[in-house]
Amino acid sequence: MTDERRPEPAENPDQEGGAHVSTVIAPEPEAPQAATGAAAKALERAALRRALVTGIGFIVIGLYALWAFGLGTESGVDAVFGMNVANNRGSEVSPLHVAARGTAIAMSVLCMVAGVLRIVLDKSRLARRLSVALFVVAFVVAFLCWAVAGKQMSFAGALQNTMLAATPLILGALAGVIGERSGVVNIAIEGQFLFGAFAAALTASVTGSLTAGLFAGAAAGGLVGLLLAVFAVRYLVEQVVLGVVINLLVSGITGFLYTQLLQPHSDRYNNPGVFENHKIPGLGDIPVIGPVLFDVNVIVYLMYALVIATHLGLFYTRWGLRARAVGEHPTAADTVGIKVNRTRYINVGLAGCIAGVGGAFLTIGTVGTFSKDMASGAGYIALAAVIFGRWRPFGAVAAALLFGFSKALATSLQPLHTAIPAEFLNMIPYVVTVFAVAGLVGKVSPPAAANKPYTKG
Amino acid sequence: MRRVSKVAVVAVTGALALTATACGSKPKDESKSTPSASQGAGGGGGTAAKVKACMVTDTGGIDDRSFNASAWNGLQQAQKQLGAEVKYVTSKSENDYVPNLDSLAKENCTVIVAVGGLMADATTQAAKANPNQKYVIVDSTSVGDNIKGLQYNTAQGGFLGGYLAAAQTQTGKVATFGGKKIPPVTIYMDGFVEGVKYYNQQKGKNVQVLGWDEAKQDGSMAEKFDSPADGERIANDFIAQGADVIHPVAGQTGLGAASAASKSNGKASILWVDVDGYESASNYKSVMLSTVTKAISDSVFQSVKETSEGKYSTTPYLGTLQNNGTGLAPYHDFDSKVSAETKNEINQLKQDIISGKIQITSPAQPKS
Repeated sequence: MTDERRPEPAENPDQEGGAHVSTVIAPEPEAPQAATGAAAKALERAALRRALVTGIGFIVIGLYALWAFGLGTESGVDAVFGMNVANNRGSEVSPLHVAARGTAIAMSVLCMVAGVLRIVLDKSRLARRLSVALFVVAFVVAFLCWAVAGKQMSFAGALQNTMLAATPLILGALAGVIGERSGVVNIAIEGQFLFGAFAAALTASVTGSLTAGLFAGAAAGGLVGLLLAVFAVRYLVEQVVLGVVINLLVSGITGFLYTQLLQPHSDRYNNPGVFENHKIPGLGDIPVIGPVLFDVNVIVYLMYALVIATHLGLFYTRWGLRARAVGEHPTAADTVGIKVNRTRYINVGLAGCIAGVGGAFLTIGTVGTFSKDMASGAGYIALAAVIFGRWRPFGAVAAALLFGFSKALATSLQPLHTAIPAEFLNMIPYVVTVFAVAGLVGKVSPPAAANKPYTKG
Repeated sequence: MRRVSKVAVVAVTGALALTATACGSKPKDESKSTPSASQGAGGGGGTAAKVKACMVTDTGGIDDRSFNASAWNGLQQAQKQLGAEVKYVTSKSENDYVPNLDSLAKENCTVIVAVGGLMADATTQAAKANPNQKYVIVDSTSVGDNIKGLQYNTAQGGFLGGYLAAAQTQTGKVATFGGKKIPPVTIYMDGFVEGVKYYNQQKGKNVQVLGWDEAKQDGSMAEKFDSPADGERIANDFIAQGADVIHPVAGQTGLGAASAASKSNGKASILWVDVDGYESASNYKSVMLSTVTKAISDSVFQSVKETSEGKYSTTPYLGTLQNNGTGLAPYHDFDSKVSAETKNEINQLKQDIISGKIQITSPAQPKS
């Protein structure tokens, strides 16, 4: 299992916290591993091969971009990017005019430069990452210049839509990270979304209080999480199968209650309203980014806090250390007195609450009404974000944002009548997800004891 | 551990595929059978043969506040006024059409209403297999010996809507998007675009339409009728680009557009579709400029009524401005914001379309 590990040391904040039990914890998946002798040579060869394949891939795609986007764009036209969001309350920002052809060509060349850098600077982890980032950004910009040439696209609107799509995904992915770090695979995120969305809409409608709805959504998600925990931990059911079954169960229950209760009396039971946006003074006035990030509703702010709290919690507190111990090596954790199964119950329940908040965002955070099966697969995308983000909160955020951005882009490009058929544009987010998880991430290892029930003795 | 992650990936893809196709092809038995009011009392025989009207919904579901909902309204009206027994089954995906129609054929329905032109093939097939069963299909012409087609030339209503939108816009930009690129959807968008174009010609203005290009028959499609989140994203994008009247033709997905408009600080308004949005989507009544209507519920009711009177025929029905099969709903809260001049012009337009003075060119129009 350690055969292909990269030799360079990883940045690794994980082992700094929680003093007294740290010695029994299995190393983090990305932890440093010094290989020696023949093994080291084999590793180096593999790394070199990977660098060559990726780098040449970048160059080839760059050439394609040069041909399709650079030379394929009419010269002398501008691509116009609008910089105002839909519910703009601040000052209007004038749209950005970009010479389409020139920029597309420059960006295509940058794609190729990124490929060269990827090969030349293979030794440095930071340079590797930067070259990938450079490639992605340059490619997207080249593509946009080609697609928008002679037309206008609202860039700020696309960013806002990115947040709209990414917020529930981030919350769901956090739930996935906490669950898997503790050794329970949380496929039930979809179900937690759905139940959270349902409970939030119903409670907020009945009580007239959106805050109550938010708490109800969290509680409902937590309930689904506990259900998962009981069957996974107590009855040792295969967690992947269990999660899918729970999702179908929740879909059935909410669907039934919806047709029986919410739909016939929608005024009374399915009319919760939505949280107002609150602008943070100062930060909210930053052009473009301000209204997108700091003029949002309370659930999004809560999401920011939860991301940071989860990161700090997992890697710098006793709770996180124990959670990871239970997820990596439960037997060892047990011998030093950590209650493995109790830890898993608590963490999976907690994770469910976070996913439930994500569900609440779907109703009282955006649209305002519940509709049947409204999560429509977001839970599974959140799970993909967990893997793409390498079981780290910030990684999951990046993955969710990437997915959200591709979704927003698909929406924005549709009205521009590009050469790409609308059906294909709508596929982009899923294609990106598959490529991201399969290709860009490389080899990742989940927590060692994920999906392994723990029984004493 | 590597195996575990493989299992997980397989399961995730499997589950994704499941949700994508909305789970298999078994008939979804969420049917709700409502016995008629007269059934409880009816001890002795001798009453006239009771009608049982059954319906298969399209994927938007019974509560799309749009075309499935209005067909179901028609049946409920039949239940109230004719004492009919009514029932519906939901199609979760296009794979459910055939099994749903099959399951109803075994239930002794007097008439089966198939909601949606997408179901035309499935209905033709079912009608061939059950030659004695009477069918009614919404959004399709009569496609068999025992199928009555109900069609609506909503391009006419859409034309009025487009004119209204063009007259109301402050920014000079209006927008429309659809659920799927199928004629019953694009016909609205065509009419809308033509109405705006006509306004521009008459007034020498240059109001732009985002989201639909009639000549290319290409534009914004959510590809889903049941996803408000997608509708909200599309509408946000339009509003950010400066559009201030949005015409969603996408069932429940359109609710997201209404939500986006209601969050736009009063900038944007919605031109709803099928049934008066002021009533059917009352959460958002403050942004409902008007609705391009489609008299599905009335025509479905009439068909059931004809059947109950033994007058079922397969002569297709075509809803137009003339027979109120399509039109514009009241302006409600916007009544004071629409000028008397515009109101008069729209009334005049309606007459001109009926008399043929204005020709609508949408290729999606049903052939009468």
